[in-house]
Amino acid sequence: MTSTQPSKLLSNLFESIDEDARLTVLHIGPALPETVEFFSRYRCKLHFLDLFGELPIEAEEDVPLSLDKQFAELMQFPAGTYFDICLFWDLFNYMGSDAIASFLLTLRPHLHPGSLAHGFAVHNLRSPPGDQIYAISELDALTVRQRATALPGYAPHPQSRLKTLLSCFRFDRSVLLADSRLEMLLSASL
Amino acid sequence: MIGPSIVIKGTVSGDEDLVVQGKVEGTIDLKDHEVSVGQSGKVHADINAKVVKVDGEVSGDISGNEKVVISKSGNVRGNIVAPRVTLEDGAIFKGSIDMDPGDTASSKVSLAAQTPAQNPADDVAPGFDLKSG
Repeated sequence: MTSTQPSKLLSNLFESIDEDARLTVLHIGPALPETVEFFSRYRCKLHFLDLFGELPIEAEEDVPLSLDKQFAELMQFPAGTYFDICLFWDLFNYMGSDAIASFLLTLRPHLHPGSLAHGFAVHNLRSPPGDQIYAISELDALTVRQRATALPGYAPHPQSRLKTLLSCFRFDRSVLLADSRLEMLLSASL
Repeated sequence: MIGPSIVIKGTVSGDEDLVVQGKVEGTIDLKDHEVSVGQSGKVHADINAKVVKVDGEVSGDISGNEKVVISKSGNVRGNIVAPRVTLEDGAIFKGSIDMDPGDTASSKVSLAAQTPAQNPADDVAPGFDLKSG
């Protein structure tokens, strides 16, 4: 089933874009037609990385730095890649604190001071799992599809905790959504 | 056409359109023509063509001088460079899509200056965590 979700913050990602410049985007999640079509209006390079397909991402017992190694293996971006926009839709609801730290450790070298991010998290831990797949369809709307099966490892972090965990980002704005979900606009804090 | 039972290892080049229903490992270089990978096609190769349409499987980088289309039955693992890319609903794609092949400049988009909140009443303040947990 496909539905449309309005967004109040998505457009902020694109306000300062010079349409003649190249845009580099990291989308954590599966590639969907709407996202590709949306970005086809920009000169851009889209990196699709479906970490949801790797869940659960957990440390291996007796293997030092196993999470760091897992993310280094999963996130092999070409040298010189700097993301202008990162899309983290629901990602952190399915990752423990250590996994988030390792994820950011790998991502940080690919951020620049003007990097922005958009994401969904939860405002309240009682928020139920959505198990949804998102795509950008318009500057102010996302297309949402329900996943066929539930994702493993749903363990969301409260907003206050997430602010601490996302050490290389600062929260610029957040909007409370239905079901105690949270829409977030982040900017790099390097 | 490369039929379903045909396996080719090496470089495929020429001056006409190509339909791949079999297996190709290596390189497909038909820069002025169209390459179609049919539903039974399995390509482990980089593809360079004017138009590339994928209904089957491709593992490799695709360069389309005009456009690349991955249909609903298509499965691509690799990086795509083309002016226009279409992903149909149901297509599987892992990799990156570069929709501006002509530009090699390393100019970065400046996103540093962001407009302040337009409707602050709608927002949850960044430092304000309502009953979290």
